[in-house]
Amino acid sequence: MTDVIATNQTILVVGGGISGMTAALEAAECGKNVVLVEKNAALGGRVSQLYRYFPKLCHPVCGLEINQRRLKQNPRIRVLTMAEVTEITGGEGDYTATVKLAPRYVNENCTACGECGKAVDAEVPDAFNYNLSKVKAAYLPHKMAYPQRYVIDPSIIGTADADKAKAACKYGAVDLDMKEESVQFKAGAVIWATGWKPYDAAKIQPYGYDRFSNVITSVEFERLADIHGPTKGKILRPSDGKEARNIAFIQCAGSRDENHLRHCSRICCMASLKQTNYVREAYGDEGKSTIYYIDIRAIDRFEDFYQKVQKDKTVTFIKSKVAKAVQDEKTGDVVLHGVNTEGYHRYATPHDLVVLAVGMEPSVMAANLPAEIVSDSSGFIEADPSNHAFFGAGCASNPLDVNRAVQSATASALRAIQVVNRVARVEG
Amino acid sequence: MSENYRNNFLKEVEERVEEGHWVKMCMQCGVCAGSCPLGAHWAHPPQELFMMIRAGKREEVLTSDSMWMCTSCYNCVVRCPRKLPITHIMHGLANLAYRLGLSPKNQTTQKFASMFWNNLAQTGRVNELKLSLGMYFKDGFGQGIKNAMAMQSVGLGMVKAKRLNPMELFGGHGIKDKSGFHAMLKKAREIEDRRKNFA
Amino acid sequence: MADMKVAAYICQGCGLGERLDTAALASVAKKEGKAALIKEHEFLCNADGIKMIRDDIANEAVTHVMIGACSRRAKTEAFGFTDVCVSRANLREGVIWSQPETEEARETTQEMAEDYIRMGCAEVKKMTLPEGDPAAVTERTLLVVGGGVSGMTAALEASKAGYKVVLVEKSGALGGWAAKLHKRTPGKSPYKDPQNTPVAEMAAAIEADANIKVYLNASTSKTSGAPGRFEIEISTESGSTTIEKVGAIVQATGFELYDANKLPELGYGKSANVVDQAGLEALAKAANGSPIKRPSDGGEVKTVVFVQCAGQRDDSGKHLPYCSGSCCLTSVKQAMYFKEANPDIDTVVIYTDLRMPGNGEDFYRSGQEKGVIFTKGKVSGVEAAGNQCKVSFQDLILNDQVAIDNADLVVLATGQVPNSGVDIDTKLKAEIAAAAGDNSLMEAYTASQQEGAVQPISMLNLTYRQGPDVPQLKYGFTDSHFICFPYETRRTGIYSAGPVRRPMDMVQAMEDATGAAMKAIQAIENAGLGRAAHPRSGDLSFPKVRLEGCTQCKRCTVECPFGAIDEDEKRFPLFNQARCRRCGTCMGACPVRVISFENYSIDTVGSQLKAVDVPDEFSEKPRILILACENDAYPALDMAAMNRNVYSAFVRVIPVRCLGSVNTIWINDALSSGYDGVMMMGCKHGDDYQCHFVKGSELANIRMSKIGDTLKNMSLEEERVSTFEVAITDIERVPQLINDYAALIQKIGMSPMKGF
Repeated sequence: MTDVIATNQTILVVGGGISGMTAALEAAECGKNVVLVEKNAALGGRVSQLYRYFPKLCHPVCGLEINQRRLKQNPRIRVLTMAEVTEITGGEGDYTATVKLAPRYVNENCTACGECGKAVDAEVPDAFNYNLSKVKAAYLPHKMAYPQRYVIDPSIIGTADADKAKAACKYGAVDLDMKEESVQFKAGAVIWATGWKPYDAAKIQPYGYDRFSNVITSVEFERLADIHGPTKGKILRPSDGKEARNIAFIQCAGSRDENHLRHCSRICCMASLKQTNYVREAYGDEGKSTIYYIDIRAIDRFEDFYQKVQKDKTVTFIKSKVAKAVQDEKTGDVVLHGVNTEGYHRYATPHDLVVLAVGMEPSVMAANLPAEIVSDSSGFIEADPSNHAFFGAGCASNPLDVNRAVQSATASALRAIQVVNRVARVEG
Repeated sequence: MSENYRNNFLKEVEERVEEGHWVKMCMQCGVCAGSCPLGAHWAHPPQELFMMIRAGKREEVLTSDSMWMCTSCYNCVVRCPRKLPITHIMHGLANLAYRLGLSPKNQTTQKFASMFWNNLAQTGRVNELKLSLGMYFKDGFGQGIKNAMAMQSVGLGMVKAKRLNPMELFGGHGIKDKSGFHAMLKKAREIEDRRKNFA
Repeated sequence: MADMKVAAYICQGCGLGERLDTAALASVAKKEGKAALIKEHEFLCNADGIKMIRDDIANEAVTHVMIGACSRRAKTEAFGFTDVCVSRANLREGVIWSQPETEEARETTQEMAEDYIRMGCAEVKKMTLPEGDPAAVTERTLLVVGGGVSGMTAALEASKAGYKVVLVEKSGALGGWAAKLHKRTPGKSPYKDPQNTPVAEMAAAIEADANIKVYLNASTSKTSGAPGRFEIEISTESGSTTIEKVGAIVQATGFELYDANKLPELGYGKSANVVDQAGLEALAKAANGSPIKRPSDGGEVKTVVFVQCAGQRDDSGKHLPYCSGSCCLTSVKQAMYFKEANPDIDTVVIYTDLRMPGNGEDFYRSGQEKGVIFTKGKVSGVEAAGNQCKVSFQDLILNDQVAIDNADLVVLATGQVPNSGVDIDTKLKAEIAAAAGDNSLMEAYTASQQEGAVQPISMLNLTYRQGPDVPQLKYGFTDSHFICFPYETRRTGIYSAGPVRRPMDMVQAMEDATGAAMKAIQAIENAGLGRAAHPRSGDLSFPKVRLEGCTQCKRCTVECPFGAIDEDEKRFPLFNQARCRRCGTCMGACPVRVISFENYSIDTVGSQLKAVDVPDEFSEKPRILILACENDAYPALDMAAMNRNVYSAFVRVIPVRCLGSVNTIWINDALSSGYDGVMMMGCKHGDDYQCHFVKGSELANIRMSKIGDTLKNMSLEEERVSTFEVAITDIERVPQLINDYAALIQKIGMSPMKGF
């Protein structure tokens, strides 16, 4: 039975992506006790699935390493993975949270030696790679996973494979009898760092994400470029594994669109500009990137990055919201149709691969959180006095880049500390 | 006279064109221009027309044949990220140009539109036979015969299937209260003229 | 302190027992490692294994623990004994997972493991437990410099958390830039209309707050000390000075608008009807809801043109190269001023990219609904003609060179220029070069100072050895370069907030200021406990220096990336441990090796590399030392091993806090003890540096560029010491680098220094 010790001076952080980790660490490094709840099997969130950051082109897992080291040596943070908050009752400074823990079927004895993974035969889609590849049904979520502990996929429970995994483990770490459990604990304030999800690209009918194999999303493209990804870092297109050298990036795929997401998702322009660098990194002058855009939103000193990409001869900018995409059955190429509005030029241009710069929407619409929370028209949590000691952090509060998400998370940590310090003063 | 980038013409469009108040909401993404199946035939696609309206290019817009190209397929409308009723605006612009006598004289769609309207306004019902013959012969007698011959089998088939009555050529049937219908049209025109400042 | 008692624990789990002769490892630990207690365990990290170690600490007076098991990055919590010194010999990732599982490889794999046991034992014996700072103090008061919205936010938020605040504002009233605004852009749903600024409300809250002490018409004329014990001299215009003691500082010194006088081509200065955004706010404030009049003659305004990116996003080098991120929002708001007063006024916004992210899209839509006209275009000039202006531009959509002839008012959206004070880096770079014997930069700097150049006014007047202000990142902004860590600038306990750190709008400034207040509070708490700030947060060790050996070379004082080291009256280095981030750059810099940490020192690393068994010249078993950055290169090696990417068995890896902490003595020692090569693996340096101690890898690179002479003196090939930039994702590249380097060493032959 999982035991969580918490009081109404404890801060509950929901979501273990970069925002949640930051909020938890900042508060804990200020001497506060924190429970960090993450629904996946490992911390890190979407950031851990990115290949590089804009504008520095550094690797997100570098920051993840630092944050994990901070976490490992900080006894004030209790991490619950595969956990979801199902209910919060009470009021500011005196909440009671109910958290559902899904069975991992692997206990803390796990050394991540990998023998269970070798033993099982079944494979399941690898969510870390946006299901672009498969992974053994006993797996480590990813190479940097924290906790560094395997997971047994529920689909093999009750099969011979599960027994093989159990037999392969010399350390008694595989526990097939684990059951879902529910824990309750107190918290003075709650930080919702539930993050974002890519907009469902299949809903953008004219781009054919659901029909054309060579139309992928920007988050999937990150996995293609990453050494830990399904192609081991090679930019190969899904239909035939051919090197994708001529790549189109379609901006505002879902964003700034009353039919989809009303807001601008802020990061997508920079993400595509960054991804043209992946093409250059892979193919040099032989690569070709085309960015179809409405406005390039390279805000503040990101402008430097935009200007640098503009100087790259392999990158073309076309001011146009693409009208439709059609994949040629024979060649696998995707032809984009539309009009360049700068002077009215029609185009029907073939590309090896089309990347949709999909928008951000809240991972959990604020209305669907197990608490009363005021949100904006897109479902992001707003700062509002009627939210009492519920605070949005990172992309749960707005479409933000990593830098701004971390600022937001740091700010939310202070707001939560204000509440628990007030509680502490009252309680003496 | 409209001036560059002053709102005179935009205001006129807002006043006189059905759904014209949407023109200012366009953000120049161009998805309408690319989505139009007849796009290649437009001198100025919708998004460009909107920009021209905002730039005060009254003459160029109203004498253009572009908006007459719209076939009401609504591709642009469903894709417009700002939900502009582009199809309606196109027809509204065409109507304004026509009312002002600025529309291109020999534009086919315009010819068909006026033929259709005149045909309908007479009896309150569309006389399909007269309308189609009118279309066949709009480019002269010789071309009309050629058109009719080419469509011969379709026409005969329709007659056989009782979808076309050759007797309609001689007047045809109308609605019951024709004079009431005409009065209604007149009244509607008066209201429209007043509202759109044509009176 | 109790007598040192070293215990060595060797794990047999995860295949270690099968792949290695653990009994032989135990014997190495005993005979060579001189461990007093040696235990093998089949599964050391489980509850039983941990209990065994705990019991030994309790019952056997064990003070030093060497764990031969997995990487220090694995099972960190399980082996995280805080009451003893711990070293980790990486036998799993570092040996059996990175070596082929073959019979031929068995011997070299075992040798590798034995060396790591030797190294682990040698290291732990040189470690002592960090005592922390017995003199650690803290003042639970924040200094906020700047009384604009950012500064007021930081003050109020800190106060709400129970901290006292001293707020210093240079002008006679709170409010800063926001006080000059008629209205602000909306910060809440539905993002449709301009809102009242929060200035009055916040200023009243500050006045009513007993925790916040405000100094108006004042500046921080002197800032000395360190986190927890800053001493601030506050001077007011009236000439009085006061001393305040604070624990941390938030610098919210804001921005000025770019000087529109530099834009005569856009008509500024030539017509009263061409204004910048501040000018328009002043007009709107004066009009207070009634129609804004034309400045030149008080005439009616019928047409207003907004010129976006005026003197911004400029690649010619004449104006600001960056985008100020908030001007599009501001222009839409200002256009609404006119539309609200009279919808018939024409307002045209000429832009190239409309940049209104997030909910800004709602505000854009709202502007359009209100009839603001947006035109994608590039303005080429503004000419005044009587009381009107002609704005010429290229309409990029209609592809047309056009003009608006009759603009009554033209608003130039100029950018934000930060009030960040003195740029200290040019001089600092020169000093670093001078300390290393190169005076050219210093001469150039001195020359530039003598040309009567106007010095900017310092914001903080720090008494720090490295200069009076916070180092700037780019274009004068004091931002952090770290995407994951936006508050990690180079002065511990001093956090910038608002537009001084990056161009931004009010919504972001308030969020940023709240975050900065959070970090300042954290710095205060950490200082009280003697703990390091990010990225080694919680670290209690700090540099210990044997001043009697110091030659006053100043390298440590100029090279410290965090300006932690001052100079005392006798010109000896004066360490301010609360400023220190524990990177060890000073230790790496010191030519006489008098600086070390309790648990990371010249000796902990030096003894490890000397503990390695270097086979003789004829063995055909070269030894290559790898000094790897613990944050990026070392995890990359671990993950390579998890992927079973095999690399040469001849390398011995020592993780270092930062390449900046690498002292050349280690290289000398390695070469003279017969190593055949040294690979140094650090983070990327240069403009897009990735070193988390900012300058560590760069400094290491500079130091190593001079290692050539040493090699020459030893008659060694220059390839024997090589530096590599390694990223954490290089899981295939790193093994390749190692193997290529091993092949290179094979080619140039064994070191002649063996056996001396």
